Amino acid sequence: MKLFNNVSEFEYPWEQLSAANWRKYPNEASTHVKAVDVLRRELDPSGRRLISERLITCEQSVPKWISMLIGGCNVSYVREVSVVDLDTKTLTLRSCNLTCANILKVFETVKYSPHPRDSKKTLFEQEAKITAYAGISKLCNKIEEWSVNRFHENALKGKRGFDTVLETLSERWNISESLVDDIGSSLVDKINETVEDFKAVTEDLPKGTRHESSFLSGNYSEIRKAFTKSS
Amino acid sequence: MGNIMSTSFAPECADLKHTYDKCFNHWYSEKFLKGLSMENECSKQWYAYTTCVQAALVKQGIKPALDEARKEAPFENGGEPEKVE
Repeated sequence: MKLFNNVSEFEYPWEQLSAANWRKYPNEASTHVKAVDVLRRELDPSGRRLISERLITCEQSVPKWISMLIGGCNVSYVREVSVVDLDTKTLTLRSCNLTCANILKVFETVKYSPHPRDSKKTLFEQEAKITAYAGISKLCNKIEEWSVNRFHENALKGKRGFDTVLETLSERWNISESLVDDIGSSLVDKINETVEDFKAVTEDLPKGTRHESSFLSGNYSEIRKAFTKSS
Repeated sequence: MGNIMSTSFAPECADLKHTYDKCFNHWYSEKFLKGLSMENECSKQWYAYTTCVQAALVKQGIKPALDEARKEAPFENGGEPEKVE
């Protein structure tokens, strides 16, 4: 298993950011995220805590050798559970891939909260756990390494994407405080560049990531697991 | 396709989803965020949309993987995975 952490900030207040979160994927312009569906949504009796379960449908883009291994599915699904808490002012999103979960599992936790020193900003914290389950440890490592690279590639892209969404929504927020269904086509143009990568299976994390465990220790644990299983 | 808001994985549910999303987004920023709401007010739109989605999940064979993930990281837990050794 490999672990990644990342902290960054957005130049928008938390409230605005949490509202924008629900419209992050106008899919028409995005290439990876094809659809977003709400599967379950419950409001706490207090009216201050909202839990949502969403299904994110992505077009898969994996290396040929992985898709051969997996069997050539070109659509992948991610399940996400999010909690908006008005009392702690946090939006926490936890997601995991449903597709090919027996081979590779990416569990991502993202938390948005008001910046402790500047209420006009939002703090973004991210953690991802990547686990490959293939039988041979070498292969596991290869898949994990590939995932790491994907994270890097899409890093800045994703952050920039959400920033442009926020920018556009922000203009309207200031005009009417209403984020109703009126984003217009300018948003589509802006989003065109990026948003798709914000979240999904392995190809979707917003910013640079760093290793928390060395390749070697990852290796050892896989080897140990293999031995434990066979004995 | 052809809509600004994200579509549904099931084409037959797309219109119902847009109607629901529109209601939800308005409720979210105008009521929920302001602490003005004790209930999710879009239940009528939700019911129509979710009925369609639940059927499509079964039809497209997504349900088993979803159920597995739900067991692993329950909704009631805010999606936090249960500790696995």
